[in-house]
Amino acid sequence: MDLFLQQVVSGISIGAIYSLLAVGYALVYSVYNFTNWAFDAFMAFGAFMAFYAISSFFLPFWVAAIISILLAIGMAVSTEKLAYRSLRLRKAPRLFMMISAMGANLAIVNLLNLFFGGQFRRFPVENIGTFSMGQVSVGRMDVLAGIISFGVLGLLWVFLYRTKPGLGIRASSIDILTASLMGINNDAVAFIIFAVTGVLSSVAGIFYGIKYAVYPTMGIVTIKAMIASIVGGLGSLPAAVVGSMLLGILETLVAGYISSTYRDLFSFLFLVIILLFFPNGLMGKSSDEKL
Amino acid sequence: MPATTPMLEVNNLYVHYGGICALHQVSLHVDPSEIIAVIGANGAGKSTLMKTIAAVKDFTSGSIQFMGMPLKKDPYKVVMDGITLVPEGRRIFAPLSVRENLLLGAYTRSDRQEVAQTMEEVLELFPRLRERLHQRGGTLSGGEQQMLAVGRALMSRPKLLMLDEPSLGLAPIIIDTMFEAITRLNQQMGLTILLVEQNASLALELCHRAYVLKTGHITMEGNGRELLEDERVRSSYLGITGG
Ligand SMILES: Nc1ncnc2c1ncn2[C@@H]1O[C@H](COP(=O)(O)OP(=O)(O)OP(=O)(O)O)[C@@H](O)[C@H]1O
Ligand SMILES: [Mg+2]
Repeated sequence: MDLFLQQVVSGISIGAIYSLLAVGYALVYSVYNFTNWAFDAFMAFGAFMAFYAISSFFLPFWVAAIISILLAIGMAVSTEKLAYRSLRLRKAPRLFMMISAMGANLAIVNLLNLFFGGQFRRFPVENIGTFSMGQVSVGRMDVLAGIISFGVLGLLWVFLYRTKPGLGIRASSIDILTASLMGINNDAVAFIIFAVTGVLSSVAGIFYGIKYAVYPTMGIVTIKAMIASIVGGLGSLPAAVVGSMLLGILETLVAGYISSTYRDLFSFLFLVIILLFFPNGLMGKSSDEKL
Repeated sequence: MPATTPMLEVNNLYVHYGGICALHQVSLHVDPSEIIAVIGANGAGKSTLMKTIAAVKDFTSGSIQFMGMPLKKDPYKVVMDGITLVPEGRRIFAPLSVRENLLLGAYTRSDRQEVAQTMEEVLELFPRLRERLHQRGGTLSGGEQQMLAVGRALMSRPKLLMLDEPSLGLAPIIIDTMFEAITRLNQQMGLTILLVEQNASLALELCHRAYVLKTGHITMEGNGRELLEDERVRSSYLGITGG
């Protein structure tokens, strides 16, 4: 029972990181109907920026995190401007957008490789240890990752559902043409959305880097976030979070009770089984409501 | 020549979809406080004209002037300048509440208090929206959705309100309510209105002046009464033949 609880807490923390990533995909997908394959490169980029801010410039963790977030925002917003905007304005098919996104991904990951090298790095942050609740011992970093991730998601929720630009983004996700007839600037919406993905990718990159390692292709983990958002229901933010939490908990339980070798196998199996019974994902609506 | 300078002036406008010419040398003008109707059959280019003036479709050649200035290229800037389009088929944000739909109409405005004031005016114009403020837009009936679409457009406090087939798919009694509201907006507040309609008799009765659009060309213009009596209009658009 104690082991079980311990696994669940750890699962929640990895699920929270998946949530950030899954929401990042869902947000772009909900408005632009394409999968932003460059997103996982933003994650690696964010992790590297924090890594070097600490290891080369000896900045405190929080300062490094903020710098990493700002740089990841810059990276995400520039990618939108360079790789997607002209395609979007010409109403290019979404396949072209995805190919452009893959190109951006390759470019960013290769640049990281070129500048920093491909080896795995331990994230330079001190081990803040564990604390125990009764018989259960919980990693402090896991708890911190969970709290910060949910804090970020909470802020995003408030932004989307309680502010005017948030309403504009929700309207754009429903009908971008009519949104522009309301006087909503499509380019400004794109800027905000990609800035948000920058924040999400950087925070996820930092915590994932701390939990495992920092390396140029670390973004491959976002495949889990893709699975999670499909399990939840593609394009919906709450569904992305629910899918991520389920997947995170399932994975740690499999790793704890069965074997970590089979962890990824179970993730895919989980996806297949869910889709068998819920073709649109658990909370998927085939309707126009996405955010 | 009209004594006032036109609010909107379209000159020799050409609009293409790929190689297809949808508007051919279209010229028209709208003066302040006028109701102008453009009538035409399916595919005549009515929606294309509306979209071009709303800047969501770009034009090949010709010019569009609004308040003496060239029309801006971005739809949101056009809205900020005072042109708001109620699109064909209403295009309500179905998952959002009636209130959120209305607030989106006021997206370009930052004066909270005055926005609340405009919303009050809109709800007075269409009391049925008030009862449904917190309902999802998609659950409204067709007529209510049209009221919402017009109300939403009014939230921007437009100088020129454009309506693309406001009678489309509505029951006659709802159409009457709609057109009464349009007349009232024009007479009481001096709102300038440009509307396109297939329902020619209705539009011609309501408007001050009208243009007939046929396969991308303006073939006739005149005041509403004149066109209502015109033989060619009567046979082609009103389905009335003979005397
Ligand atoms: N997106 C598009 N791509 C290609 N051709 C188009 C497009 N939109 C409209 N057209 C063509 O342009 C012409 C004018 O269309 P438009 O929608 O302006 O007509 P309309 O007068 O509004 O018709 P309706 O009364 O059916 O709404 C038509 O021949 C139509 O096929
Ligand atoms: Mg039309």
